[in-house]
Amino acid sequence: MRRRTFLKAAGAGGVSALLAGCTGTGGEQTTTEASGDTTETTATATTTEGTTAGGESPTLTVGTYGSFVDAPSSSPGPWLKETFESEFDATLEWQTPDSGVNYYIERALQGVESGADLYVGLDAQMLVRIDENLDEALFSPAEGISRLGDVNEQLNFDPQGRAVPYDTGYISLVYNETDGDGDFVAPETFDGLLESEYAGALLAQNPTSSATGQAFLLHTIDAKGEDGYLDYWASLKENDVRVLGNWEDSYNAYSNGEAPMVVSYSTDQVYAAESGEDMAKHQIRFLNDQGYANPEGMAPFADASNPDLAAEFMDFMLRPEVQAEIAVRNVQFPATTTAELPEDFAQYAQEPPEAVTFSYDRLQDNLSDWTDAWAREFARK
Amino acid sequence: MSVRRVARALEQRLLTLVAALTAVVLLVLFYYPVATVFADAVLADGRLTIEPITAILTSEFYLVDIIWFTAKQAFYSTLASLALGLPAAWLFSRFEFRGRETLRSLTILPFVMPSIMVAIGFVATFGRNGTLNRALSAVGLPPVELLFTLEAIIVAHAFYNAPLVARVVTAAWESVDARTIETARSLGASPRRAFRDVVLPQLLPSIGVGATLTFIFTFASFPIVLALGGFQLATIEVFIYSRVRDLAYAEAASLAVIETVISITLTAVYLRYEASQRSAGGAANPLPRRSVLPTDWTPKSTLRTAGIAGYALVVGLVFVVPIASMILASVTGGDGGFTLANYAFLAERQATGASFQVKPLPAILNSLAFAAGTLVVAVPMGVTMAVLTTRRYRGRGLIDVLSMAPFAVSGIVVGLGLLRGLVFGVDVLGTRIRVTGALAIVAAHAVGAYPFVTRNVAPLFARLDGRLVESARSLGATRTRALVDIELPLVWTGVVAGAAFAVAISIGEFDSTIILAEGAGSYTMPIAVERFLGRRLGPATAMGCLLLLVTSASFLVVDRFGGRWGEL
Repeated sequence: MRRRTFLKAAGAGGVSALLAGCTGTGGEQTTTEASGDTTETTATATTTEGTTAGGESPTLTVGTYGSFVDAPSSSPGPWLKETFESEFDATLEWQTPDSGVNYYIERALQGVESGADLYVGLDAQMLVRIDENLDEALFSPAEGISRLGDVNEQLNFDPQGRAVPYDTGYISLVYNETDGDGDFVAPETFDGLLESEYAGALLAQNPTSSATGQAFLLHTIDAKGEDGYLDYWASLKENDVRVLGNWEDSYNAYSNGEAPMVVSYSTDQVYAAESGEDMAKHQIRFLNDQGYANPEGMAPFADASNPDLAAEFMDFMLRPEVQAEIAVRNVQFPATTTAELPEDFAQYAQEPPEAVTFSYDRLQDNLSDWTDAWAREFARK
Repeated sequence: MSVRRVARALEQRLLTLVAALTAVVLLVLFYYPVATVFADAVLADGRLTIEPITAILTSEFYLVDIIWFTAKQAFYSTLASLALGLPAAWLFSRFEFRGRETLRSLTILPFVMPSIMVAIGFVATFGRNGTLNRALSAVGLPPVELLFTLEAIIVAHAFYNAPLVARVVTAAWESVDARTIETARSLGASPRRAFRDVVLPQLLPSIGVGATLTFIFTFASFPIVLALGGFQLATIEVFIYSRVRDLAYAEAASLAVIETVISITLTAVYLRYEASQRSAGGAANPLPRRSVLPTDWTPKSTLRTAGIAGYALVVGLVFVVPIASMILASVTGGDGGFTLANYAFLAERQATGASFQVKPLPAILNSLAFAAGTLVVAVPMGVTMAVLTTRRYRGRGLIDVLSMAPFAVSGIVVGLGLLRGLVFGVDVLGTRIRVTGALAIVAAHAVGAYPFVTRNVAPLFARLDGRLVESARSLGATRTRALVDIELPLVWTGVVAGAAFAVAISIGEFDSTIILAEGAGSYTMPIAVERFLGRRLGPATAMGCLLLLVTSASFLVVDRFGGRWGEL
């Protein structure tokens, strides 16, 4: 019914109708319980405001990346919303702008309020980007969280105490034992990757746009030093390493046997086991016995309209049973020392002997220079 | 009486009205948003500067390794698209064979395919263990290493753009007046001479359109470059994207300005050429078609049939096998066996998905609704601009080029501009005006689609005999009436061809849609494909196949309906 109105409007009223935009200063790209009826949303040109389903109860608006609430395998989003709402007298709304945290940075740059209470899915690299580009604070320090002490201290990546880690993952190599004559073994060190037997054998991702690609680049900088990593990459390029656009591109090529190794997550076997794949094709290699750790954090927006509720939510996220659920559903490792993980979790989710990661302070003033220098070197024809 | 007068007044001014509305839509959804981004290239702390642009123009890396390389690969991609597209135009317009209409409708499919789907199909076809190498080894030939090379990018670009060349040229070829050739032949010209002197000049503008658009599109190509080539073959758009992501807006905007200037210049050169082509034509009286299989096997006809067979083989490899591979991937499980699990996932998500998650059915319906809306908006916009394009007035050249600009600006820049200009809103007298939602999406799609209509229709308009309109008007018809009753039927093939592109652009559009969408409720099929990409690719491929299925079905309907309407 409404759809028909829309078509008619687009046809008869023509393009002038689009000027009937909406006025207001409220929230943005909000996915609400009320917007469940999709035809209704399609039919209107007004923005769904932060309405609440239950009348007077407050609404907590949480920004995050798409797969946190909507991954095809499993994602913590739906469970978190349901559990949180069942206990607190509040409505949780997920916002998943396509450009992730950059969307909120862009809003701040344009002088528009954030429109959300907290963001879930920050890492150290994002914080550096935010602090380099914004004069005013986008996030405020996380306060009033009783379980802050439960977080594994090594995972804290924000010296200003804004971002609180809620899970962590490791970037490693995944390799296929059955490649070639069926006895392929990945090298054990970064230097090993340069040997001729591994020519064209590694698929990686563009560090300027992909999280795994960026982590792998940072790992090489850690291993080879600020002064040595460009030479190392020149040798990798010489040895025909393939840096594709994103994780999907490279994993697709890997699955089709284009190369026996791919930069991926150390939890790769969890997914492989789920879909009944041959584990020989999903072997994990931690180069130099290290994995690059990339903890994910959450932080309250400085202009949050419900800062207290945001703090309650963050505390909720650190509960032992919630930590376990996030870990299992997001296929990552918990951030707290108190999480109660199911016993079979460790079977397929592997942790490196040693975790490496750059601190915020090292990344500050360096991250974009390192990445730019890499891009200019690698894209040289 | 007065109603009639109003109607007539409206009719008289309808073209002006649509032109004015087109200008408003372009201003709100294109020029203003893009200006908010381009400003970063020339403004620093509120003062004019040329520093960011000169920094790029004096950088050997950007000039040689990025911009020159990007132009080079676009040039090769254009040649490949012409080589693959022109024979198809010849077959579609000059031959009769079973399934011709259906096949022609399906040539639209590449336009709507998300790059990850094409990457999946291409890896399965041209990879180390792909179909091509298995076929080569079956006949005892050595394998070819095609992936992650410039060649792979060029073939993928031809996959996207050869159908564009084929469609545009077919439309022109079908409106060649057979009588002009008969005249040439009766004056003693050989078939070859008649083709060169009579047919070719009528085709060249459309070949020019196909080549120009292919160059512009492949010049701004980016996801497919990284998926099948790799970062060592990075193009200018790759750097625009990474600079935007890094919030290095001055550099991103400067790169985008340079990219746009190059594309716009090329467009302007083409438009000058198109304007100079004014061969007098008449009513469409299409050439007769012949059978693909000759009735008698002369050496010449045998050679032609062999050529067609060889071409069919290449088409099979470049188009059919990759698409078949995508379909196969959607029903292949982790263990390599057959499975319907990916489709079961779609059904389950449809049944139990939360309101903030993407569901397949609403995505399909949204795509179709936006496509229908785009059709209704873009066709009048495009036809009106084509009429303006073929008139003579001061500043026409500029209007022509400005109206083609949506093709020449980086999609990343348009997306960022829409975010800044429309989604965040503009303060007008204390209230923030924001433009998002379904109508904004349709308008944004129409902006990206109407130049296709214009470029398909304008060359045909230019060939019309101006006296037809003059005589109609001298008999009292309004300009609109003359357009609808006299001109449109004569250029109908172009209108249908343009309309098909408009629908395809709308269905395949991603960047603006996701920015203007208000949550999961207004997501479309390509967005669903992207959202269903997880640590396993299966669910996304299943959604991608639904996208192909829905698009094929709607195009078979659109083409049949459009064709019949034209015959009335």
